[in-house]
Amino acid sequence: MIRYALAILLVAGPAQVLAQDSTPGLELWGKIHEVFSHPRCANCHVGTDRVPMWSGPEYGAAPRPHGMNISGKGADDGANYLVCTTCHSKQNSATPHGPPGATSKGVAEWKLAPVEMQWFGKSSAEICKQFKAKESNGNREIAALAHHVTTEPLVLWAWTVESERKPPYSAKELGKIVEDWGMAGAPCPTK
Amino acid sequence: MRVIWVDGEPHKVDVEGDMPLLWVLRDEVGATGPKYGCGIAMCGACTVYVDDRPVRSCSLRIGDVAEGAKVTTIRGLGTPQALHAVQAAWIEHQVAQCGYCQPGQIMAAAALLHDKVAGKPPLSDADLDDHINHAMSANLCRCGTYMRIRAAIKSAAAKLQGQRP
Repeated sequence: MIRYALAILLVAGPAQVLAQDSTPGLELWGKIHEVFSHPRCANCHVGTDRVPMWSGPEYGAAPRPHGMNISGKGADDGANYLVCTTCHSKQNSATPHGPPGATSKGVAEWKLAPVEMQWFGKSSAEICKQFKAKESNGNREIAALAHHVTTEPLVLWAWTVESERKPPYSAKELGKIVEDWGMAGAPCPTK
Repeated sequence: MRVIWVDGEPHKVDVEGDMPLLWVLRDEVGATGPKYGCGIAMCGACTVYVDDRPVRSCSLRIGDVAEGAKVTTIRGLGTPQALHAVQAAWIEHQVAQCGYCQPGQIMAAAALLHDKVAGKPPLSDADLDDHINHAMSANLCRCGTYMRIRAAIKSAAAKLQGQRP
């Protein structure tokens, strides 16, 4: 009898636990996705064309490619003759519609995310899969991912803007959400 | 107080850290080559080099320019006796109309040719066009001199590659 019970637990148990635990885990992922799909983050997590995007409340409903034919092709911080920091200086511009800034070369290096970390235009399921897979997340375990989002200077820079352009939560809160999502089995949505 | 080198000369500047480099150059140093256009790094008229890299000086705080930094304006690109290849090509092609944007255009073009042409294997015409499209699209000209700008860059590129224009 005990053997039967053990067999049932071994076969059905993990699936049942997974089914029970996936809902809170998916809710946590939803919060992570809120941050990752925010324009302040996603605009530079672009695909193979290496064209950063302009999207966000100041651009209305339709995202558009970065103006002025800008592309990171050749180098993720821009071609040598027109690097990102030609216009994006070390401070967020105080002038309306001025370029956001980031310190560069040494602190928060202003550059596009690697192509395998494309978020812009990707579904929540696709971003989740990319974020979890070590081959596309910088070879990081969940704990390292939580550490990354709470300590990487360019990630932290995302929150250093006025409130209407700021991603939700805080870097510290995001790190805790990532940890909790990992503890919940790090489930990903199916679509 | 900080010292910056502008076109090869040291200048002591005593200004607030949030003053844009453009105004330091124009009002404090007297280097009026770089122009105020949009004020938000969108038009390129204020382009200068800081430590040999192009920047939009209207959007760069002097407080973010390193002590002793080397700033190059259109005035320091060449001399009347020894014009930069791009400056010479600009005259050859009579590029300027009103001329307001041209210092920025020339600085952007010279940066492109320095990175991709001077001392490098020759580029195909298509590749050079592609680089021009990328390098110069962020420099606006209200007079619409773009065709002459492109012709002048190609002419300067040919000279820098040791080819006949």
